[in-house]
Amino acid sequence: MSFSPIRLGFAAALALGAPAIAAAQSSVTIVREVDSNNYDPQKSTARAASEVLFMMGDTLVGLDPDMKTVVPMLAESWDMSDDGLTYTFHLKDGVSFCDGKKMTAEDVVYTFDRWLDPATKSPVAWRAGEVESVTAPDPLTVVYQLKAPHSELLYQLTQSFATIIDKANVEALGPDFGVTGFNGTGPFCWKEWTPRNTMTLTKHEGYTWGPPIYDTPDAQVDEITWQIVPEENTRTVAVLTGQSEITQYVPYIAMSQLRAAPNVNVEQSDAAFWTYFIGFKVDKPTVADPVVREAINLAVNQAAIAEDLYFGEVQPAYSYVSEGALDWNHAIDDELPKYDPEKAIAILEADGWKLNSDGVREKDGVTLQPLAYVFAGSTWSKLAEAVQADLLKVGIDMQIQSFDATIAWGKLATQEFDMFGMSFPYVSSGDALNLYFRSTNIPSPNRMNWNDSETDTLLRAGLTATDDADRAEAYGEVLKKVHEAYVWLPLYHEPMTIASSTKLKPVVPHNLYGCGLYKGIGIAYAD
Amino acid sequence: MIGQIANRLLLSIPVLFGVLLLGFMLLQLVPGDPAVVLAGPAAPPEVLDAIRKDMGLDQPVLVQFWHYLSRVAGGDMGRSLISNKTVLSELGGAIVPTVELMVGCLFWSIPLGIGMGTLAAVKRGSIIDRLVMALSVGGVSLPIFFICLLAIQFFGVYWPIFPFIGRGGPFWTYDGFMHLVLPAVSLGLIFIGPVARMTRSSVLEVLKLDHVRTARAKGLSERSVILRHGLRNALIPVVTLVGLQAGYLLGGAIVTETIFSWPGIGRLAVGAILSSDFPVAQGTILVLALSFIVINLIVDVLYALLDPRVQG
Repeated sequence: MSFSPIRLGFAAALALGAPAIAAAQSSVTIVREVDSNNYDPQKSTARAASEVLFMMGDTLVGLDPDMKTVVPMLAESWDMSDDGLTYTFHLKDGVSFCDGKKMTAEDVVYTFDRWLDPATKSPVAWRAGEVESVTAPDPLTVVYQLKAPHSELLYQLTQSFATIIDKANVEALGPDFGVTGFNGTGPFCWKEWTPRNTMTLTKHEGYTWGPPIYDTPDAQVDEITWQIVPEENTRTVAVLTGQSEITQYVPYIAMSQLRAAPNVNVEQSDAAFWTYFIGFKVDKPTVADPVVREAINLAVNQAAIAEDLYFGEVQPAYSYVSEGALDWNHAIDDELPKYDPEKAIAILEADGWKLNSDGVREKDGVTLQPLAYVFAGSTWSKLAEAVQADLLKVGIDMQIQSFDATIAWGKLATQEFDMFGMSFPYVSSGDALNLYFRSTNIPSPNRMNWNDSETDTLLRAGLTATDDADRAEAYGEVLKKVHEAYVWLPLYHEPMTIASSTKLKPVVPHNLYGCGLYKGIGIAYAD
Repeated sequence: MIGQIANRLLLSIPVLFGVLLLGFMLLQLVPGDPAVVLAGPAAPPEVLDAIRKDMGLDQPVLVQFWHYLSRVAGGDMGRSLISNKTVLSELGGAIVPTVELMVGCLFWSIPLGIGMGTLAAVKRGSIIDRLVMALSVGGVSLPIFFICLLAIQFFGVYWPIFPFIGRGGPFWTYDGFMHLVLPAVSLGLIFIGPVARMTRSSVLEVLKLDHVRTARAKGLSERSVILRHGLRNALIPVVTLVGLQAGYLLGGAIVTETIFSWPGIGRLAVGAILSSDFPVAQGTILVLALSFIVINLIVDVLYALLDPRVQG
């Protein structure tokens, strides 16, 4: 589909004055691709849930767009004991929920109790650390008592999973909590949700406790509509024609065109910390051989994938986390495998993997046909096919099976496959490593079956370190270990790109959990 | 007439039963387990077993089907596994936009198709005839998604006249009407072709008949001959065609609704099937089947009105 008429159309539209479809000056429509299954902060791990929850609710602490600085939000200050076991949060006075009820330390305690309660079955409870108790000595103080130090705690508390909720609201709605309503303390309030269609939020009047990373403490628009538009071309032209004022869900193919459009701003941040990779089950006959995993790492041309599939808009990845992430081990920068198909063939030959009559390698009766499970959809189908083509050139015949996201998570928890495709957001190296490489997280999210006691010890050391240098060292060791074992095939790091109408002030893209608009406070009409 | 309608309604009972069975069986066959969808991927096996027992999934398939039938008969379609809303409320919210889209599409495309076909038949062999036929073939051959994308390209982007995302409200409001135009026009375009072609051939047939010659011999004006004596009889096969095409239209509506983010049944069906939301998927299949039955009933009634011989 040619896009050249669009610009002409634009010139025409501008010549005629404003486009026929102009929104009221205080409402904003954000288009996105998928909806969440619910908006219960402790039960959904979908980005689609987090991006709305950040706007509807608040966490004790916030995160600066630099992804390193923790800033006050519901807590105006906090202190940590020397042993790293006790965190004391001092809450701001005068915070209230959307329904007008005053928020106190009791609500914070209730939130964490529910999060950690086994009955809640929260898939993200591990993020809270090994908690002894959370108590409220007075209405404005919360004491967070740990059994073991948890160096990532403050970062984890900035995530939407730690959004402070209202007990009365949870109990009144029961299973409909986060489905028919949600009472939070955020800059916006729940107005209406029609699943798979729209989520409407209205400004929270009287909200003054926004994090200091924005120019203003409160929301600058009266209403936000999150509109689901599954078709990516439609999302693109929606931004071009001003039917949607802002979005982070535009396809890479349209980036250059959006940058050229006179009425659209494109803001980008490379510290997005969202990485795509393919992991190997290290105990399966085909990919159990480290040489095979190394060969796969050498055979795939990440730079070509970034250029051909993503129009050069993404960063080819050779490391498992972005090299800009906290605690990345720069000592292994030069050891990361780069594209070298000749070397891949050479090491496979030397290892005894010989080509059979079909052009596929074999060794000891095992044919090199690893089965890869990926998510159905345009992203992974293109990506998996590109990897498949590169691997075939060195005699590895990767088989692809794709599943819709709703089924895929269940399938990925099995032992049926040899390789799997995945992408994930993280705030730091430790965040990623603890999620994927702990032996206790087998079979999922540790789908590689990476079972290594030394890794576990180092991860625990990093997690419980009370000193930044100690933590960096422990995590650096793990990074070195897993990179040397070729447990993954890193593919690319996705940047955060936000396209917005020039009617809005430019926003600073945020990267927390891949939610570019974070609290939504930065969304404001230019005067 | 009344007897006929009652007869048709009776006949639709086994059809409905078949649809219920098919919908139930189809969802038995697709990969994915409702209990897993409900519990989430991280749920331990004992929780899954408890949920399966709770949902009656541990029973034999026939027993499950019987339970499903009795629930549906009682008007209980269950709850969505994804949003926990009742299926009835999800369907209720989606039916209105779909009906709006259907009516908005048929409202202009059927009269236009009949008009074009009649004109082509009367001016047989002329340039007008050729043009109408060319347009019809084009309308039949172009895939609906392509028409939708072209419509967005020209009337949403090149000349930004109409919005193309979602529904703006009921069609009688300005915003609602503007949002309805592009999807209704795109969907109608695939409908004009078959209607115009069928009308043309049917009118040509009728114009050869004796009663038309008689009407001409009586000295009636050409216009009244064509409209009163020709068209009324020629419309009978067209009505049948419209009824048959309605199914095709429902299929087209699924694509159209997806592209225009129109919150209707088609989009709900796709979303439900993709997200393994079994109760909602079954509900949408049932609604689509019901609408088929209703459309066919309407066709039969129109038939009787148009053709006195059927009324017998």
